[in-house]
Amino acid sequence: MRDIQRGRVVLAILVLISVTFILLDLRGSESGPLRPLRSLGEVVLGPLERATATVVAPMTDFFQGLSELGEKDAQIAQLEAERDRLTAELETMEYDRDRARALDELYGLASANDYVTVPAQVIAVGPAQGFAWTVTIDVGQRDGVQRDMSVITGQGLVGRVVSAGPFTSTVVLIIDATSSVGGRLAGTSQIGIVSGTGRQDVLQMQPLDPLAPLDIDDVVVTFGSEAGRPYAPGIPIGRIAEIRGTQGQLTRMAILEPWVDMSTLDIVGVVLDSSQRNPREPLDGAPLPTASPSPTASPSPTTSPVPTTSPVPTDAASSAAPTDSPAVP
Amino acid sequence: MMDLRRFLLVGLLVVSAVIIEVTVLAPLPFPGATPGLVLVVVAGIAFALGPVTGSAAGFAAGLLLDLAPPAAGTIGVGALTLTVVGYALGRVFESDDRPVILTTLLTSAAAALTVIAVAALGGLLGNPRIRWDEVLWMVITSALYAALLALPLVPFIRALCRRVLPEAFPR
Repeated sequence: MRDIQRGRVVLAILVLISVTFILLDLRGSESGPLRPLRSLGEVVLGPLERATATVVAPMTDFFQGLSELGEKDAQIAQLEAERDRLTAELETMEYDRDRARALDELYGLASANDYVTVPAQVIAVGPAQGFAWTVTIDVGQRDGVQRDMSVITGQGLVGRVVSAGPFTSTVVLIIDATSSVGGRLAGTSQIGIVSGTGRQDVLQMQPLDPLAPLDIDDVVVTFGSEAGRPYAPGIPIGRIAEIRGTQGQLTRMAILEPWVDMSTLDIVGVVLDSSQRNPREPLDGAPLPTASPSPTASPSPTTSPVPTTSPVPTDAASSAAPTDSPAVP
Repeated sequence: MMDLRRFLLVGLLVVSAVIIEVTVLAPLPFPGATPGLVLVVVAGIAFALGPVTGSAAGFAAGLLLDLAPPAAGTIGVGALTLTVVGYALGRVFESDDRPVILTTLLTSAAAALTVIAVAALGGLLGNPRIRWDEVLWMVITSALYAALLALPLVPFIRALCRRVLPEAFPR
């Protein structure tokens, strides 16, 4: 009997503490009274996660390798898939090249913004039943990462850093329901708000101008923020897969498919600095795009549907830079 | 002395469950929910050591899940739900007879209820991320994964507790 009573008392106390935490946290996650607690979690659990991820990575690879052993059917299927993929790639190459040329002409400054990025590995993911699309990466303040930096891969935008601990940082992906990014249509320079839906392959874009011409397969890049934070300009976000509503309708919306496959995130890059050079400067009255600076980072459309392909995560150069300069044709 | 060992055992189980859940299980592309290893470990501790240790383990595990990066939810939601789970499952068996089939089913039910509770709390607290069209699928998958994990883990944790804390048995 005494034991049961003790159990009830413990339960009541712990429930009370939990509710207190919830109420305190609701007062503000960023600067609220529980911020030190969160930092403590980052400092203590971050390195533990890092260590576990390092130990576990080769093991998972090993088990994946084992499961493939001796499976000829799978191998054949894989080779066939690869053949199909290469054929498709060949067919789309021409199209990609055209698109890259079009983008070059539009922007006139291929490879104008060279991002300084720090490579990072995804070491932990939030459980799916929490409905939050967040991941932990193995770089932190020690590596120069700070809150509100963009996170990219070779394909495009991944998300932004919401909190940077000493050794690890937490990234909110653009597909998270709380995420919104300023986007710009590559073709027409129309701007809009790209927000996450909580589903891993769907983004929504609401154009600011309801009359903006939208087309399936239009490419959307980041609009860019002040000093490149939280989002550096010109990073590809996705392509328009579907358009809801008719032209002029206020609730017109484009459904985007993100370039980055969020379910297989592994190596990413954190953009430390995107403001080395203002990408709009060279445009002032200069003839384009023959004067395009470095040919090394010019778009190679063969390997990516978007005109950005420097293997992540070194100085990833994104060639698709937005511009609102009058010099653009 | 016994309390120190109990504390260390429960702490070790809970911390490793949290770390494994976010670094190993969550990145793997399971359909639907992430297998709730933490919940199953809390259930195992509660079945083995009773409601007091169960609710304490649930509170600690939930708080760690709320704090472990990349946690983005409200601090306290996990702690609250797992405290209740630890207490309730610890109260179920008063005698020493606990069939595996029952513990498995109970753990699975607890996992399903936890998903619903987290979603409902999120709705109450104005969490914009909750997607109600996904909740049912999450409930079904997390119940399934919890059953699969509980089948070996609950008896294992019980055996471990019996080994490390023989004086706590029979409870």
